[in-house]
Amino acid sequence: MSLVALRKAFPYLALAVLAAAVLYATSFGTLTRADLTFNNATEIKTVDPPKATGEPEGRVIEGLYEGLLRRMPASDAPPPTNRTNTPYTPQYATADDMQVSEDGKTYTFHIRESARWSDGTPVTAHDFAWSWMRMLHPETASEYAYQLYYLVGAENYNKAQFEVGSAVEVELADRPKRTQTFPRGTIVLGKLLEIRKPKGDEKTISATTVYVVEVDGSQRFFCRSSSSPVANGKPLEPIVQILPDFESTVGVKAKGEDTLVVTLNNRTPYFPDLVAFYPLYPTNRACIEKYGAPEFTRAENLVTNGPYCIQFRRIRDRVRLVKNPYYWNAEAVKLEVIDAMAISSDVAALNMYETGQIDWTTNVPPTVIPDLGKRCDFYTAPILSVYFYRINCTRPPLDKKEVRQALNMAIDKRKICERIMRAGEQPATNLVPPGLTGYLPPQGLEFNVEKARELLAKAGFPEGHNFPKIEILYNTHETHQAIAEVVQDDWRQNLGINVELRGLEWGTYLDAQNKLEYQVCRAGWNADYADPNTFIDMFVTDGGNNKTGWSNGRYDELVGAAAKETNVERRLSLLREAEEVLIDEQPIMPIAFYMSKEMIRPTLKGHSLNALKVHPLHLMWMERDETSGAAAP
Amino acid sequence: MTFLLRRAAWIALTLWVVYTVSFLLMRSVPGGPFSSERQVPEAIKRNIEERYRLNDPLWKQYLDNLRLALRGDFGYSFKLGDFSVNDVIYQGFPVSASLGILAITFALAFGLTAGVISAARRNTGWDVLSMALAALGVAVPNFVLASLAIIVFVFWMHLVPAGGWGTLRQLILPALCLSAPVAAYLARLTRAAMLDVLNLDYIRTAYAKGLSERRVVVRHALRGSLLPANSYLGPATAAVLTGSPIIERIFNIPGMGSHFVEAALQRDYTLALGVVMAYTALLLAMNTLVDLSYALIDPRVKME
Repeated sequence: MSLVALRKAFPYLALAVLAAAVLYATSFGTLTRADLTFNNATEIKTVDPPKATGEPEGRVIEGLYEGLLRRMPASDAPPPTNRTNTPYTPQYATADDMQVSEDGKTYTFHIRESARWSDGTPVTAHDFAWSWMRMLHPETASEYAYQLYYLVGAENYNKAQFEVGSAVEVELADRPKRTQTFPRGTIVLGKLLEIRKPKGDEKTISATTVYVVEVDGSQRFFCRSSSSPVANGKPLEPIVQILPDFESTVGVKAKGEDTLVVTLNNRTPYFPDLVAFYPLYPTNRACIEKYGAPEFTRAENLVTNGPYCIQFRRIRDRVRLVKNPYYWNAEAVKLEVIDAMAISSDVAALNMYETGQIDWTTNVPPTVIPDLGKRCDFYTAPILSVYFYRINCTRPPLDKKEVRQALNMAIDKRKICERIMRAGEQPATNLVPPGLTGYLPPQGLEFNVEKARELLAKAGFPEGHNFPKIEILYNTHETHQAIAEVVQDDWRQNLGINVELRGLEWGTYLDAQNKLEYQVCRAGWNADYADPNTFIDMFVTDGGNNKTGWSNGRYDELVGAAAKETNVERRLSLLREAEEVLIDEQPIMPIAFYMSKEMIRPTLKGHSLNALKVHPLHLMWMERDETSGAAAP
Repeated sequence: MTFLLRRAAWIALTLWVVYTVSFLLMRSVPGGPFSSERQVPEAIKRNIEERYRLNDPLWKQYLDNLRLALRGDFGYSFKLGDFSVNDVIYQGFPVSASLGILAITFALAFGLTAGVISAARRNTGWDVLSMALAALGVAVPNFVLASLAIIVFVFWMHLVPAGGWGTLRQLILPALCLSAPVAAYLARLTRAAMLDVLNLDYIRTAYAKGLSERRVVVRHALRGSLLPANSYLGPATAAVLTGSPIIERIFNIPGMGSHFVEAALQRDYTLALGVVMAYTALLLAMNTLVDLSYALIDPRVKME
């Protein structure tokens, strides 16, 4: 009976459910337009500075936080009005003074008295010492930790390397939250007297090794596992970490509230650039210890010291930034609300720019560049970034220098720049992009088919006879594929070599590259700081980013000597010599130097082009213009 | 009741199988979640792996993760380091749900209307027009449709914004594009069903009573011809779910579809697994609902 009634009522019920669903679907509130909306290209991985690595992360983090120094145009520089790059150099930010010792190894920073966190508490030298300790702590797993390896003792602390007789810090197993590194458990400082390693596999050893440490004149016994109770008649104390003593072995110290003293291993002329780079920006200890990671990064918890705070983050949509009233220079910050959009499709971003939904895009699809080229809101400028091919030097016949040179000389790079990249990119014959002060890059091998054929014949493959099939690996992207097709064509026609292409998705491509499971593969590199070293130190023997299997004693020597060289000119000439070795040996084939490609609404001011592609948000403002407001649909 | 219990058991079993297969598939492809252009020192890498328990033996990882998943905890996203998988689903689901609901509503409105009209006005211009449109809707892939729609409605007519999420206006175009294939299929289904019903004896009786055509079609025939449309709602949900990653990407909408595609491309194991499980659960729930309603409106169907 009731079933029949239900059956009768069903169409009305269904309609009611549908109506309710539509009501729900349309109930999401409308969002007001931000003062500036720009495309940040992708969803950022994190807003925790030592854990971020990318360029989009950098744009947001540099808005949220502020380091001792910050990369900006010098205050006395002329206002950027033209279409060329403005020099961006480290400028005073949270620090208002920096003294460098005679030998270039000691930096003394003075913290600005007015520097505040977004909860109103002062920013002190202790915040920096603690933040750098956190960045170096092995459990933080910061991928950029090596940026601090220039500090005395930093590498040992990060890798938990210590010897018998050295000062150590032992963290007892009494952390308030077991899975959180911070706040840490009780720290015991002492001198390591003895390491007792048991037999067994690596895991057992790490768990049951006993550390004998002298603490305040008495011996104490520490062990990671709490299951083996006694040694020498004394109870073993369970621990979670044993590391070199940060206070006494690592070269960063807070002298009072406002002075930070940093001691380096060698004179490092680009150390200020590293300090001005976002991984070294400070994080708030109280906030991290209260909420733990990653919960402290939630908009409602996060405490930062930069010009902006997060209002909310909508995943793969936007990060909304609002002005931080406690920022020391808040009067100078003009934009109140900024939306950093995560639009991963360049075409969608261009559509949204064209219809007035965003004011600035950080990339455009190369196919539309010929049409955009004439417009006044399309900007390109050279950046410190190089497009190159790695060659796997462990695979015959690519282990022969002549073969690598022949392959390089047979590529018409101008064609690649003009027909595919299209934004005025320059063909590259060497690794380090032009535009670094004081560094004159060496001239590499030019496009020369005759010479390439000769070299190939000399290597035992006249006209490509008996040359095995070569495969070019790239990460799937239309531009990379088009470039690989040009190279394939050039090699086939100029050298008579059979070439295949293989596109892989990003993760698999990186994996193949790391494991040297390729013959020739596409790569790119952005400068971390404005010094040739950021490119050249990649290719030292077994360097983490070498990935070519190439090793050259002379090269390693030159790079090592440059790191220790105190004279600026001599250091750069050592690096130049190293690069000469590199482009003669050719474990890589430079293809082109990148250009930035941006659409910038004419009403957006304070944005200036620069080689590092750094765009501090707090320097920007929108010029109020009635017509532009009306044009947006 | 036994029907529901048995169905629940099947759903649980399906979810477990889907979980296990996706878990193993994702672990068997090369490339880890931490591959990045910058290679990290060995000690640091070991730490990252320890933190996400990637260094345990596979069976242990599987059991640990399964135990947590049963409690509804899918852990932290590998790539979106600041969010847990539940955060991502919690944020993405309402977005996709509102898009999906609008799409299905549009599909029902257009599909049913077109189907009924072309059946009632068989072999007229209306019939030909709506069936031609339906054939196009089924045949044209939605990324082509979306691109065309953007050119016409955004750039030529300036009616709606090009993409994004936050206002109702931004949802109209993607919902329409997403609904097109479903609407087209519904129109054809409804037309066929309506034609069948219009040939039945009780319709002839209704006409014989002297009722107007409108009354016959709307009061008598419509009810019977809605049955296939109703049972198509399950597959329609699936179509909307599978279509949404493309539509969401083209219109830059931060829903589950975008998260799913990105997670799979970036080897975000935990997030991909979480989204797959959410999709599976949703699909199974929708199918169960449709089966229930089918039994409710069609007296010939018995729950077994």
